Amino acid sequence: MPDFDLDSFKKTWQEQPVQEKYDNSEILEMLNKKSRNYVKYIFWISVAEFVFFSVLGLFYVIQGKESNSFMSILEKLGARKTTELEGSLDNIYVVLKIMSLSITAYFVYKFYQNYKKIRIEENLKKLILKIIEFKKTVNAFILINILLLIAFTSVFTVFIFYVLNTQHIEVTNSTLTGFIIGIIISTALAILLIWLYYKLVYGIIMRKLDKNLKQLKDIDSQEF
Amino acid sequence: MASKEKEFAQLIKDNQGLIIKVSRLYTNSLEDEEDLFQEIVLQLWRSYGSFKGNSKISTWMYRVALNTAITLFRKKSKSLPTNELDINHADFIEDDDEKQQQVSLLYTVIKTLPNVERAIVMMYLDDLPYKDIAENLGITEVNARVKMNRLKKILKEKMEKYA
Repeated sequence: MPDFDLDSFKKTWQEQPVQEKYDNSEILEMLNKKSRNYVKYIFWISVAEFVFFSVLGLFYVIQGKESNSFMSILEKLGARKTTELEGSLDNIYVVLKIMSLSITAYFVYKFYQNYKKIRIEENLKKLILKIIEFKKTVNAFILINILLLIAFTSVFTVFIFYVLNTQHIEVTNSTLTGFIIGIIISTALAILLIWLYYKLVYGIIMRKLDKNLKQLKDIDSQEF
Repeated sequence: MASKEKEFAQLIKDNQGLIIKVSRLYTNSLEDEEDLFQEIVLQLWRSYGSFKGNSKISTWMYRVALNTAITLFRKKSKSLPTNELDINHADFIEDDDEKQQQVSLLYTVIKTLPNVERAIVMMYLDDLPYKDIAENLGITEVNARVKMNRLKKILKEKMEKYA
């Protein structure tokens, strides 16, 4: 194609025969379909996570299973099971659970607020920035989840040492080392799993946006 | 059926060429193209209520269609690597009309560009003023012009090379 000129090609482009694919009834049918855009997915995934953890939390509170399993760790270390001990364990557990659920509820609310702020008819750069703001809330949620996990583990570990101390129980060095290594490994593993999960769910779909925003910023910073 | 829905359906029917063009430029298969078309129609319907006629219908449609294609659409719309040009070009060589062959080649060449640049070229080809192009993307008018001048050179080189 010798001497291609985009300006003189405009007419050909505008007159290209674009076959009408859909009639009025097919277009109206589309309005009843659900949107498949991924910002909506992020929002619903976060809601699903909240519901899942709330139900799981309530189930454990009702069953008392988690504090039972924690009690058995204490017993293995030689602590005596007393009503007082069980009571304080239950209290700690309920406080931590309520704290965790309140934080998640706050984030679901924030997700919803930021999601509502995303308006498709805004200019591309503003739209991307709004979605990035939405992403920041997601990132904060991930970070808080990891911090909560570390905080919970620390509280329970401190509680174990407190119980052992008040009941004057001497633990052998090897048991203590095994216990500490166990806690560190399981916490690290849990953090890794959380991190991988969020990278997989949210990371992939956000990368594209960063790339587009970078391109817009590049255009705006071009030298003439 | 609500008259607003009917009015909207007619509007889409009359302007579906624009949505088809955007869908074609941002996808690499017919299935994805149809998916994107539907997503754009849905997003247009959502913002139809707040469209107050401050801008031209075509500018508003472009804005929503491109925003959906570039930011919200799940499927990847990766730029085609240049070495794929021959394969894609072969798909439309059968077209008898020379002009149509050129249009098809231009589509393929534009698809080698990054997302935002594709949008600039498309709006330019459809004669949107630089003011609207810049406003739709959130860049300055001067930058839109500078960018488009560079893109003209790039497209000329590629079109002449692959024709």
